[in-house]
Amino acid sequence: MRRRASALLLLLLLIAQTACAQAPVVFAAASLKNALDEVAASAPAKIVISYGASSALAKQIENGAPAQVFISADLDWMDYLDERKLLRPGTRRNILGNKLVLIAPSGSTVAAEIRAGFPLAHLLGNGRLATADPAHVPAGKYTKAALEKLGVWDPVAGKLAPAENVRAALLLVARGEAPLGTVYATDAAAEPKVRVVAAFPDGLHAPIVYPVALLTGAPGAGAAADFVALLSSAPARKVFEKHGFTPLN
Amino acid sequence: MRVEIDVEKGLGDFRLKAAFSCDAAVTALFGRSGCGKSTVLNLVAGLLKPERGRIAVGDRVLFDSTMGTDIAPEKRRIGYVFQDGLLLPHLSVRQNLTFGRFFTPQAERWADFDRIVALLDLAPLLERRPHHLSGGEKQRVAIGRALLASPRLLLMDEPLASLDAGRRGEILYYIERLRDEVGVPILYVSHEIEEVVRLAGHLVLLSEGGVAATGSVNALMSRMELKPVIGRYEGGAVIEALVVEQDLEMGLARLSFPGGELQVPDLNALRGERLRVRVRARDVSLALSRPADASFLNVLSGTVTAIGAGDGASVDVQLDIGGTPLLARITRKSVAGLGIAPGKPVFALIKAVAVDRHSVGYA
Amino acid sequence: MFGSITPSELEAVRLSLKVAAVSTLASLPIGFALAWLLARKQFPGKTLLDAIVHLPLVLPPVVIGYLLLVLFGRRGPLGQWLEETFGLVLAFRWTGAALACALMGLPLLVRAIRQSLEAIDRRLESAAATLGAGRLWVLASITIPLSLPGIFTGMLLSFARSLGEFGATITFVSNIPGETQTLPLAIYTYTQVPGGDAQAMRLCVLAVLLSLAALMVSEVLVRRANRRILGDAR
Repeated sequence: MRRRASALLLLLLLIAQTACAQAPVVFAAASLKNALDEVAASAPAKIVISYGASSALAKQIENGAPAQVFISADLDWMDYLDERKLLRPGTRRNILGNKLVLIAPSGSTVAAEIRAGFPLAHLLGNGRLATADPAHVPAGKYTKAALEKLGVWDPVAGKLAPAENVRAALLLVARGEAPLGTVYATDAAAEPKVRVVAAFPDGLHAPIVYPVALLTGAPGAGAAADFVALLSSAPARKVFEKHGFTPLN
Repeated sequence: MRVEIDVEKGLGDFRLKAAFSCDAAVTALFGRSGCGKSTVLNLVAGLLKPERGRIAVGDRVLFDSTMGTDIAPEKRRIGYVFQDGLLLPHLSVRQNLTFGRFFTPQAERWADFDRIVALLDLAPLLERRPHHLSGGEKQRVAIGRALLASPRLLLMDEPLASLDAGRRGEILYYIERLRDEVGVPILYVSHEIEEVVRLAGHLVLLSEGGVAATGSVNALMSRMELKPVIGRYEGGAVIEALVVEQDLEMGLARLSFPGGELQVPDLNALRGERLRVRVRARDVSLALSRPADASFLNVLSGTVTAIGAGDGASVDVQLDIGGTPLLARITRKSVAGLGIAPGKPVFALIKAVAVDRHSVGYA
Repeated sequence: MFGSITPSELEAVRLSLKVAAVSTLASLPIGFALAWLLARKQFPGKTLLDAIVHLPLVLPPVVIGYLLLVLFGRRGPLGQWLEETFGLVLAFRWTGAALACALMGLPLLVRAIRQSLEAIDRRLESAAATLGAGRLWVLASITIPLSLPGIFTGMLLSFARSLGEFGATITFVSNIPGETQTLPLAIYTYTQVPGGDAQAMRLCVLAVLLSLAALMVSEVLVRRANRRILGDAR
């Protein structure tokens, strides 16, 4: 009697586990959190979303992370996976755009205009510029490219607070630990404790494009593919717009 | 130096209430295990705090609950030799010995390193570590360590208990030397009657957390009603005697005391030395007339002073041998058969062999 | 096979050693005090204190990093007080990294010291008191020497934990090369950059060598301390 009961229990657990395992895992850039959560809530099937720096996520996928969908915050990291043949052919699309902004804590009264040679180092005082790590995180790479183009990178390079991802940089400014920071417009909109000082004009860096793709190993049809299709749907686009993204196509 | 102790302390179910004072070179606290002897020492040393009472050593009051005095143990200047030595394992013997000296105020340092080392034969041990020492060596170092802190009172808690029989005699000898040559009053705790008899001038009997009796060793040892406290097989008398002669051929020493003479075998003592001899009651037989053709070397003439209550088949008979009390344990049958009664003149018969060298100490 | 070590890698190693050493040494007095309290004293709230000391073991390091940011950042109450009173700034400085490491290693330090304190025969301390040693002298001449094996072990554990600290450090003081980019942060960064694998591997090897060296030093010290106390080559 006891043996039969435990065998039944084991079977139920296995079924439950496989049922859970059916929920597709989506790896998405940290800056998408608020918007994507809202979109996923309205999805018919259950989706599991893991947020992080696009660089970290790409590396994890390369090393066999069980994700089925990847939404990156820049093209480089999607290209990275493409080169390694980790994307399902024909499923890659650009879905969103974003802007880079300079932010300050909400109580700060600093004012600046982002143009060539603007006194960023002076504005920082003896504080630091909070930004996602320019070595590998997209938001940081855009920041570096823009500041280099404006000719203000050199004096500021030693005054950075390179954070693990863009949300961590946002936290530093929100807490007032850094007087200025660079994040996406969408991040600034989501955080009441920061205010936007100025937006980075177009052309200073490569366009901020969020590509999405199915990864190899994901079935061509199924919950994952449906989710990717959902991202381009009208209701989803409205949600993204609300949060400050620019839906593409 | 006078030591006055009056303490009360409850530890779990056990309650200690003891008051006594003493002035002797060695005062022994004697009693069965668990009667509170070690607790008294810990209270005197300041390692435990009495609930109420007064402790004074000489003219210094160390604790007085009514006055709110409570001197910290490190300031009491009381040496303590623990049952298992408690030598500091990370220091050499020399460092252990001199540990206390560092904390002794200059003016009060009377202990001399070389003298104490010589007294306790510690010279070959000085550079060794405690775990390379035998039990007896550890105890000698422990005694030396306590002395070198120049204490005004020395506490010894069953210092021989963790030693084997052979070692005990050796250390007892050193403690006797210490008693006679150093001059620090000692409060000595033991449940072994032999040690007490050899060392102590004053005896405090503890029983179940209270003082059963206090007095000189001689007086207490022969009191029959204390038998339950002293121990069933241990009751007897302690006789102070003078060595008169040594018969080297026969290996017998002749000792003289007010009531007569005793012959004791294999005694390493010199003529003229004062000794204490313990004669166990069970080694004393009685006869109505002086026996002829018997092996007893010690035949003492005396009078019966009292007969004890009796314990099964045997009974204690108290004797007066020319002013010295002696105890004899014989059967009730013999008492009835010989007509033993208070006032009757008798002869006490003691086998010389019964008085062994463990029963003899220096007075 | 791995090429030669670059200056920036050397910088990360030097910084890691500095941060780990400072955090271990600085946390030693507090660690000993806490271990002593927990081993020797009874007081209301003792269980709570024990639990708090062990929190860094069970909480995610990022949470600890966040708490440090809130308390010790430039806007944090303790951070401001430290800056005003001692001129000590922790935010975005190696000192902040050292604090993060010290906190993460504290439970290991306290546990090891507490164990060896509890193993000391208290009567030895009583014996020292009867010889005239006051409380502080007993601490210095008996308690500390006899608890040295535990102290050395605790220091090793804290040091090793510091060498490997990542989450709390990067959340509190971010990843500033030369200032807060310790070995683990450097290794992480190199793994994220395409083509940084060789550098990451070099640093991994260095990290392993450093940890082994620390372990061996600690072994020697512990063995010597034990020999002094117990008298054999244990």
